[in-house]
Amino acid sequence: MKKRNYSLIIGIICVSIIIALFILSFIYLPYSVDQMDTKNRFASPSSSHILGTDQFGRDIFSRILVSTRSALLVSSSSVLMGALSGLILGALAALSPHIIETILMRFIDAMMAFPGILSAMVLSAILGKGVMNASIAIAFFMIPVFARLSYSMILESKKREYVKAAKSYGASMPRLVVFHMLPEMVTRLITQFSSSIGAAILTESSLSFLGLGIQPPGASLGLMLSEAKGYVLIEPYQALWPGVVLSIAVLGFSLLGDGINEYLNREVDYE
Amino acid sequence: MHRYILKRILSALLVLLFVSLITFVVISVIPGDRAILALGIDATQESVDAVRASMGLDKPFLERYFDWLSSAIRLDLGVSDVYGEKVGALILSRLPVTFSLTLFSILIATVLSVVLGLICQIKKGKLADGLIRGSVILTSALPSFWISLVALIFFCGKLKWFPVNGYISPAKGFFPFLRSITLPSIILALGELSLLTRMFRSSLIKSFDEDYMIACRVKGLGKMRSMIHYGLRSACIAPLTLIGNQAAKLLGGTVVVETIFSLPGIGRLLLVAVEQHDIPLLQGVVLFITTMVVLMNFLTDIFVAIADPLIRQGEGSVK
Repeated sequence: MKKRNYSLIIGIICVSIIIALFILSFIYLPYSVDQMDTKNRFASPSSSHILGTDQFGRDIFSRILVSTRSALLVSSSSVLMGALSGLILGALAALSPHIIETILMRFIDAMMAFPGILSAMVLSAILGKGVMNASIAIAFFMIPVFARLSYSMILESKKREYVKAAKSYGASMPRLVVFHMLPEMVTRLITQFSSSIGAAILTESSLSFLGLGIQPPGASLGLMLSEAKGYVLIEPYQALWPGVVLSIAVLGFSLLGDGINEYLNREVDYE
Repeated sequence: MHRYILKRILSALLVLLFVSLITFVVISVIPGDRAILALGIDATQESVDAVRASMGLDKPFLERYFDWLSSAIRLDLGVSDVYGEKVGALILSRLPVTFSLTLFSILIATVLSVVLGLICQIKKGKLADGLIRGSVILTSALPSFWISLVALIFFCGKLKWFPVNGYISPAKGFFPFLRSITLPSIILALGELSLLTRMFRSSLIKSFDEDYMIACRVKGLGKMRSMIHYGLRSACIAPLTLIGNQAAKLLGGTVVVETIFSLPGIGRLLLVAVEQHDIPLLQGVVLFITTMVVLMNFLTDIFVAIADPLIRQGEGSVK
């Protein structure tokens, strides 16, 4: 009996919701993120504010739309930057002479020793707060993950017959990597990319929650939760939606990664 | 075995050297002049120069790095600009909070994931297996600060099971202490559950399929006894590495939970250092956390090598 790939199905559903919110933020934004309506503080959901308002009377739904937009932009740009640098670093290590390989790999291990949120916090102290700097800070801790991945994949590829054959025909190293090794790596990279976006969204919101990422009056899911924290025992409702959207995003991308992985492995099994 | 340990020690030392270099280089480029920060913007150039010299900031970069490293090896991490106290003493005073949080959460996560992993193994492919796998993935995806807020609303606000804020030291009574860190520990544990349960599940399934498990049953050992004595034991080796790594990462990842529950741990110290640009404190805390990560990973590898006869005899594939 063919087993259903639930990770992939739920992952696609969650990611679609997030992408829909992302697109919606460009075409329909009921209120501006910093538009305050002090008479309407902590308003309950109504036809004018479908998710209610926060402590300044700002529309929660509009803020969630803009937050989702920045979460996706920050996470995808940071994962892209981290993945590119990591891939190059890992490839360099895998293709270098033994001594350089050892040094590079221990350097990557050293980068791995910095827990994600720690390196992001330290880098935000250097670069300052804000969207762009949060992306760079998050990219930094993505580097060793992708470096290790590309390192191990290239070492595996080097043993393949067709790579050896191409080498014997005189293919140059860059050509070997780009045309012969990369196609095999793409599937695993996509898996890692998807899971990493989930992790990056979580780190961005943690940074903003701690006051080191996106700054007020801008909107970020972490920032919204941090603001809701002060009123959590009186107005618990305010903390609900940003948390739900954040969880859908993190869950969606990590399940999508797992699902793609499961799907591709099954394809390999069938072969 | 000795060769393996020696190799691991050398590689851990090299990693530590890089860690210290990254920490020093990265934190040194934080904008702002510490001497001017200490004296204020109205200070004369002479006094700024004098303070710069007393802080060692006038020396070349490499010399400053080696000075800092050699003091750090002697466990002297300098004096914090914000607190005016020794960084080492500050870290030590905050360590019990973060350490107990890490320890409790990893304990909770391990016990839960062994139990859940076993249930999954026994009910493999059935509804219970799917439900457990689905729910641990869900709990791990929920952001810790959101669950913390929800838990605050229910357990502290509505049910009043736990204190809303603050940490109670064990000196003031073990149970009040336990009450103050139980909720944050559970929340941290939830984040680890998915990875650990999946790992236990797969290694239990693998180990229960081994020939020696059939041999145990053929020999006449009871199902429970063979499961616990043989199956569980060998299935624990792979997750052990993961538990070690996760515990080390948790040590540096408690900042969000510490902030929400107002726990005076290392995470909060780190946040102060970042916000106030307290360079000695930041360097000290970062070096401490990363050294702990490297040390934990090293100890885990050694422990695994001792626990796994294949690696012990040099036949294993540990790199």
